[in-house]
Parts: sequence; C-alpha cells; structure tokens
Amino acid sequence: MFKDLDPLLHSQLRLAIMSILISVKQAEFIFIREKTNSTAGNLSVQIQKLKEAGYIEVIKEFKDNYPNTSCKITPKGIKAFEEYVKTLQLYLQVKK
Amino acid sequence: MNNESQLTEQESLELIARMINKAKSDFRETGIGALMWGTIITVCALVSFVNYYQHWRWAQYIWFLTFLAVLPQIIISVQANKRKKYTSYNEDAMGGIWISFGIGILLLSFFSSWSHLQNAYVLFLIFYGVPTFATGIARRFTPMIIGGIACWIFAIISMYTIFPYAMLLTAAAAIISWFIPGIILRKRYLKAKKNDV
Repeated sequence: MFKDLDPLLHSQLRLAIMSILISVKQAEFIFIREKTNSTAGNLSVQIQKLKEAGYIEVIKEFKDNYPNTSCKITPKGIKAFEEYVKTLQLYLQVKK
Repeated sequence: MNNESQLTEQESLELIARMINKAKSDFRETGIGALMWGTIITVCALVSFVNYYQHWRWAQYIWFLTFLAVLPQIIISVQANKRKKYTSYNEDAMGGIWISFGIGILLLSFFSSWSHLQNAYVLFLIFYGVPTFATGIARRFTPMIIGGIACWIFAIISMYTIFPYAMLLTAAAAIISWFIPGIILRKRYLKAKKNDV
C-alpha cells in the first residue's frame, strides 16, 4: 500500500517554493517570486501555509532601510520534502 | 504559476528539478575581485622583477599594494552581498575558503619577512593554488581548476629558479589563475545582465 503524497507539497506553487528553498540556504521573497513566476498575493498565501505547517521559516528584516522578507526551509520541511520525493519515486517505479 | 494545477507524479519531479536548476543557475559572479587581484599580483610581481635590475627605492614596498587592495575587496564583497537575493551553502563554504586564504597569506607574509625566509615565493604560489583550485571544483569552473594547477606547477618550477625569474612565474600564475578567469566571469556577467534588460 502506498503512502499518500503530502497534500501540502503536492501543489504546483508550494512544491516550487520548497524546491527552491531546498537548494539554497535562504531566499528573499522577490527571488522566489521571480523564479516561480507567481503573483505576490498568491505567493504570500502559499508561503503562509508552508509556514503554518512548520515547513519553512519566514524572516522579516530591513535591507537598505526597506522591509525585506526572506524564507528558509526548516528541518521538518526538509524531512517532508525528502519523504515526498521518495513517495513520488515509488509511484513512478510502479508505473514503469 | 498557478497553485491549483493538478500535478502528475512525473510533472512533480520535473518541477522539482526545474526549480532546483533555476535557483542554482542564478549565481552570477561579477569577476571584479578576480580581475583586481590578478592585476595587482601581476603588477607587483613584474615590478619586483624589473626592480631586481633597476633598484628603484619605492619599488621595495610594491607588495604593500596587496594590503591596500583589501579595502576595495571588502567593498566589492559588501556590494555583492547586498545585490544577492539569496544565500547558499556553497557560497558560505567559498567565503570560508577565501577568508582562510587571506588570513593564511597575511600570516605567511609576516612570517616570511620576520624570519627572512628564503624562496618564500614557492610557498606563496602553493597557497595561491589552494583556494583557486577549490573554487574551480566547487563552481565547476574549469579556468580556475587550470589556474590552481598552474600555480602548483609554477611552484615546483620556482623551486629550481632564482629570485627575479620566480617573480615572472608568480606573474604568470596570477594571470592564469585570476586575471583570465576574471575576464571570463566578467564577460559572462555582462552578457547575462544584458539578457535581463
């Protein structure tokens, strides 16, 4: 019996955010927006969901006197992401 | 990007790979630091070579230029950090390697002049090769891998070379390991910047 794919990660934008954050130490909101080609509003909502799940940490600071939001993946997020990829691979192996 | 799109397993994996590649390919080194250090070390080494025959008084202090160059290097690094929209583990490691190199070179400079170390240029060349080679490997940037190896080859040759000619080897090492990679990085950076506009 297969494990279900984590519904929080099995959505296009949230998965894209997590994929970016798994490959860097910390990324600014604007960087994630550029890479995912998403709108600021939608991105904020999805970031909030990931934050509430404890998958990412949101850091608010000042950069050149302007507020700046950055995100970084948490250990819980890394574990969830790895689990998600493992489950995906299992699904794909069976389909072959 | 639409969040509600239903993904197949294959699409999910493709999306993950695409995003990881996008994040990784964003890094753009301006090449200014490599160009600056390549130029300074080349100039210092060539002046030392010429000064062996010319005996200019001022030229005895030419290597102090490398201490002065630390200030613009700090400014370059601060500006690069401000420009960056993300930080990566790889860059932290690179920063650590270059800071260790800077401290190592500083200590070696003091030690070699304090102890009147003969053929200190051999040690400098060995030192130059370490961060250059490490950066080349970490960034998969062949010109710096070649540069690092060139430093070590020149270090071996300089063991059998008398002083003024070892300065020519030092200049060649600086050109191959930093100046040429600096030009390549600069060209890439300007091209990428142009494509962004």
